[in-house]
Amino acid sequence: MAEVARAPRLGEAKGERDLRLDFFRGLSLFFIFIDHVPGNLLAYATFHALAFSDAAEVFIFISGFTAALVYGRSLLRNGALLVTAQIYRRVWQLYVAHIFLFVIFVAEVSYSVLVVHNPMYIEEMRVANFLETPHLAVIRALLLLFQPAFLDILPLYIVLLAGFPLVLLGLRVHRLLPFAVSALLYGATLFWGWTLHTYPADAPWFFNPLAWQFLFVIGATAGFSRVTGVWPFPAGTGFRVLAIVVAGFCALVSLDWTIHWLYDPFPLFLARQLWTHTLDKTNLAPLRLADFLAIATTTMVFVKPDSRFLHRGWARPLIVCGQHSLYVFCLGIVLAVLGHFVLSEFYDGVAMQVAVNAIGFAAMIGLAYLLEWYKVAVRRVPGARAVAGGSE
Amino acid sequence: MIAMTRPPVMLAAALLVAVLVVGSAAAQAPAASKPGQCAVPADLIASDPTLPGLAKRFHDRQPVVIVSIGGASTAGVAAGSPANAYPQRLQEALTRLHPGVPITVINKGVPRQTTREMIARFSADVLAAKPNLVIWETGTVDAVRSAEIDDFAMALGDGISALRAGGAAVMLVNMQYNPSLASVIDFGPYLDALDRAADLDDVYLFDRYQIMRYWSDNGRFNLVEVPKSKQAALAGEIYRCLGDTMAGAIDRAAR
Repeated sequence: MAEVARAPRLGEAKGERDLRLDFFRGLSLFFIFIDHVPGNLLAYATFHALAFSDAAEVFIFISGFTAALVYGRSLLRNGALLVTAQIYRRVWQLYVAHIFLFVIFVAEVSYSVLVVHNPMYIEEMRVANFLETPHLAVIRALLLLFQPAFLDILPLYIVLLAGFPLVLLGLRVHRLLPFAVSALLYGATLFWGWTLHTYPADAPWFFNPLAWQFLFVIGATAGFSRVTGVWPFPAGTGFRVLAIVVAGFCALVSLDWTIHWLYDPFPLFLARQLWTHTLDKTNLAPLRLADFLAIATTTMVFVKPDSRFLHRGWARPLIVCGQHSLYVFCLGIVLAVLGHFVLSEFYDGVAMQVAVNAIGFAAMIGLAYLLEWYKVAVRRVPGARAVAGGSE
Repeated sequence: MIAMTRPPVMLAAALLVAVLVVGSAAAQAPAASKPGQCAVPADLIASDPTLPGLAKRFHDRQPVVIVSIGGASTAGVAAGSPANAYPQRLQEALTRLHPGVPITVINKGVPRQTTREMIARFSADVLAAKPNLVIWETGTVDAVRSAEIDDFAMALGDGISALRAGGAAVMLVNMQYNPSLASVIDFGPYLDALDRAADLDDVYLFDRYQIMRYWSDNGRFNLVEVPKSKQAALAGEIYRCLGDTMAGAIDRAAR
């Protein structure tokens, strides 16, 4: 995701790339793929097994962080107008990617729905019947108002990035100004239940941008410290210890739940009190947010930018995926939709699950390496950049 | 799809077909489904939590009132009428298992309602009948409209408390399995929420989704390619199997 944005060679110029960002973003891409394949047994082993939050939080936080890092440097170097243009070029790419995914989704839905001839489901389908009015569905998809299953995270990212120039300008005024405004908006959204609506009429956005912007802005506020050199949030020992305790506590409780859902006799702790409070992904429930921030802080304490494992062979595929995250993300969604289709239409035994996961991982890693190879190859050949031109 | 743009026509046609086909089928159909056709592996039928109140009534041969509340599949729309829906079949099957006990299953299925909308009907439609057991089939409309999952989970908790406060035992029934919808609508989180709400509140969950999935995967019923003339009859047969299976489940939980 960052490589295009970094086109003006910002990251490379300083020669200091924080591989942690790429690694964890890559990891979240794999988790998003796994979680989107229904009934995937591996889903018990993703981030969510140890936390109230899940890969979506990781993805949005890191996206905010990288956006501030990349565009923040560009802001100081090139000014507000040019950086806004750069951001909107990126928004456009995301938008096109979203529409592309939408077309694939419609193809799948049309296929599935049109072959159904069973009245047992007609009542159910009528409610879901977006294909009844395809002309409206297409226009609403173009307006980001139509978000069928799986196509909900890119619209969120598009809206967040479209508002990002304002965040950057705010960061330039004061490093905590956007954070303060954003926190107020988050609080008001939770308090008054503000929401954006999608088509069909009364379904809210699965990811409410008014709530999720807070996490994006927190990421951006943290990321901007790489530009200014000033860390904006508390970093004292007490704060770190608190974060580690919170993250550890949530991990134990989540692990207990995960084991209980898998193996009923295992005793359940605090589920009656906490479970429903961890479910509201739509509005980024405070419990999820608090847990995620604790985890992010804990990660920063224990995983240093020069950690050895980031240079190990096994970490490499994840890092490369994280460095080409837009394409890998889109491929992951397409593969998840296909996997969903294969598992539900044909066969969902363990062998097929293993195959779907293995093929999915291989395709995502393969695409990332291909893009990496292309990026390096084009840079080596003088003049090739101009020919390859498109996104540059 | 084309038919669905004209629901009244579709419904009328379905009704007509249902009356003709099921009517003629019912003339020769045995009282119970053919042995084996409805069979499901034992692990798809939960053995807990139990239904001790119901067990006592069966044992004492006291009248048993069951209210079945839910959506279109409870109302029996696809099979033509409530007379062919699973609550009716449940009543027949339970009566066969407990001859001499007056058993009534009241059908309160209304198509296209969310969990909250059903809860709003509880006092008038359900508790007024003073049921010993309430069979609550829900989740479909919430999933289709992608209702917020925490709202759905909390509604389940509220509904269960309301039914229990009214003196009824509760049995939850999850969605119908549909091999084609499964790839369009993400039922997963809603199925999980039903599982977990049942788990947290110690409510019996009848896993209709996995049971129908088992029938579909094993070729007992073809849920996708059904000629129009056989659709209502098929729905009727599936509801009969569901009623039989549910009677077995209730009987097992009420020992």
